[in-house]
Amino acid sequence: MGFEHFWLSGFDQIHTAFWTYLAVGLQNGAVYAMIAVGYTLVYGVLGLINFAHGEVFMCGGFAGVFLTRGILGDRVGTGWGSVGLILAGVLIGGLVSALVATGVERVAYRPLRQRHAPKLAFLISAIGMSFFLQTLAGKEFGYGVNIFPGQVFEPGQVLFVMFGTSIHTIAVVSIVAAIVMLVIADRIVRATRLGRGIRAVSQDAETSSLMGVNIDRTITITFILGGALAGAAGFLYSLQSGIVQNAGTEVGIYAFTAAVLGGIGNLRGAALGGLFIGLFGSFSVPFAFEGNIQWTEIYTFLILVLVLIIRPTGILGEKSGRTA
Amino acid sequence: MKLRLNKAVVATSVGALLVAGVPLAGLASTSSAASAKATYTIGVEGPFSGSDANYGQYIYGGVQLAINAANASGKYKFILKPEKFDDQGSSSLSPAAAQKAVGTKNLVAVVGPAFSGASEAAAPYYSKAHVAEVSASATAVALASGTDSNFMRTIADDSVQGKADADYLVKVKGVKNLLVIGDASFYGAGLAKVVAADATADGATVTTASIPNVNTGGGGTTTEYAPAATGIATADPGAIFYGGYSPDFGLLLSALSSAGYTASAHVIMSGDGSNSPALITSTSPASAANGVYLSEGAAGKVNFLSGKLASEYFKLTKIKASVAEYAAQAYDATNAIIAALSKTSAPKSVSTMLRKEVVANLHKVDFKGITGTIAFAGDGDLRNDTGTSAISEVENGTITFLVNEG
Repeated sequence: MGFEHFWLSGFDQIHTAFWTYLAVGLQNGAVYAMIAVGYTLVYGVLGLINFAHGEVFMCGGFAGVFLTRGILGDRVGTGWGSVGLILAGVLIGGLVSALVATGVERVAYRPLRQRHAPKLAFLISAIGMSFFLQTLAGKEFGYGVNIFPGQVFEPGQVLFVMFGTSIHTIAVVSIVAAIVMLVIADRIVRATRLGRGIRAVSQDAETSSLMGVNIDRTITITFILGGALAGAAGFLYSLQSGIVQNAGTEVGIYAFTAAVLGGIGNLRGAALGGLFIGLFGSFSVPFAFEGNIQWTEIYTFLILVLVLIIRPTGILGEKSGRTA
Repeated sequence: MKLRLNKAVVATSVGALLVAGVPLAGLASTSSAASAKATYTIGVEGPFSGSDANYGQYIYGGVQLAINAANASGKYKFILKPEKFDDQGSSSLSPAAAQKAVGTKNLVAVVGPAFSGASEAAAPYYSKAHVAEVSASATAVALASGTDSNFMRTIADDSVQGKADADYLVKVKGVKNLLVIGDASFYGAGLAKVVAADATADGATVTTASIPNVNTGGGGTTTEYAPAATGIATADPGAIFYGGYSPDFGLLLSALSSAGYTASAHVIMSGDGSNSPALITSTSPASAANGVYLSEGAAGKVNFLSGKLASEYFKLTKIKASVAEYAAQAYDATNAIIAALSKTSAPKSVSTMLRKEVVANLHKVDFKGITGTIAFAGDGDLRNDTGTSAISEVENGTITFLVNEG
């Protein structure tokens, strides 16, 4: 491969580094998938997009970043220490984001719901919360200042070599953590009493309340569940990119897109959509025209439009009603 | 009746006090200003918050240094005071900062804007109000187009820096295959273009790429850095030049290092936008920045703000003069404005006429500043901008000066 044709030889590049692109794509996709679930769950129970969800993700990222920095200082985690730190980061990130999500629900959604406000009002109050959280984070931690977590494992650590390609710990951690948490979330929604409540409210809120489902409690739990996943994703994302006050905007849009691509309201669809978006983004880099990375976004959203033309309800389809 | 009388008495006495008090207060204020001197504001537009706030502080310190010296000398018919106008280095915020500056009473001229993109966006507002902008740091070639007589700068433009960088990479480091990345910002893409052209002229094979920044309005996303780094590591160019700012360069370096492309095995270089300690904190692990070469827009810092000036600068700002990029250029820019002002009649209040006069006089200044001769060509560039570019290297997390190139 001649270097002068660097950016033009897309297929050559994929041929050379297929597994690396795949790992990076899955790593990003895992993060998108975990955030997308939050969008889709809230859409399921409320029929509304939570525009502050990106900021919920950002708050979890900051929590995990500061926790690991506090514990590690200048040290680098190794072995079981790394595992413990990742678990701690994911848990604290998830916990803080769950709290923030509950706060968002209490402030921006519940009072409006109790007063039977029109849908547009929810949209605006959520956007307000989004600005509030983003500005607060900027004021506290700096605007545009990327803060990295402590070194929970050796930087650039390679976990194993597959087909001659080094697979980095960071990619494996993100993908495994995402799979575990998505499976747990899926089980909660499908196989528990709580999940039945969520599904019931999604299908018909009024009837389910007549059947004894506590709607307010169900909605709060939905926000907690989506928030926890987003917060865990925030920490995993920060391992690669650090966290910054406006991280929720850009990543949030991708995750929201993933939720729509998979079929909004559909948990498994959101997870699948997230992976798709991550992979599209990664594999379109070698095809970036004249090396302009912004082409990757053009490709990604072009594919999104094509998928939606063919399947207007997304890959797995929006289930009847507003199913979670 | 009684009540009314009391009211009247109160009103009269208050009135009398006011009548007596106003001239007294007036007298008091003029006498405290030591003779009848006019007070002018020199604005400083740049980032005072956000990820690049350090640049704003460096520049502001240089302006303060020059203003304090001028005020203390007592030889001018005016007293100067500096005022910050924060644009966060962003081209979307700079028009508002510029409008605020031109609307400020007694503002005669502005040092700045600090960033090229911000300068481009702010130019029409300064131009309309006839306010001179003397930038200490905006280096994009296109800024001094010759159409805007209000814009001047005390720093050589990117054609000087870009050529020095290309020469250093190709002639000194022997680079044959160079990947030049621009961050899609007005400054970064401009510098990348110059480096690409000069490196090609020097005989290297150059490939260009654009990875839009996240932090200064380039429209990129942080999740793009990992796949992009994969692409770069796969193509494995011998060297990379990055035109852009430190927060984004840090992200790119982090991604490159996890993709296995490091400065210890390759040559990685960037320009003055990344030449800041903020680069080290924006890179994870910080060691991924070690071995990276950084250039500065004009001749080395070595002789700037040295000796007494350096210690005064530190006393004033608590910032070491040796790290304060553009402080020397800001000092010279302020002195240029002072020189231009001293040729006016120094009226009490600032009018458009005075502002126009300052612009016209600035084009006539010619003095020996600490960075070199300060005299502007018609397009606003330094008449003698064939300066050198200072090349530094990151060694163990510290930016260390290496050599003057060009």
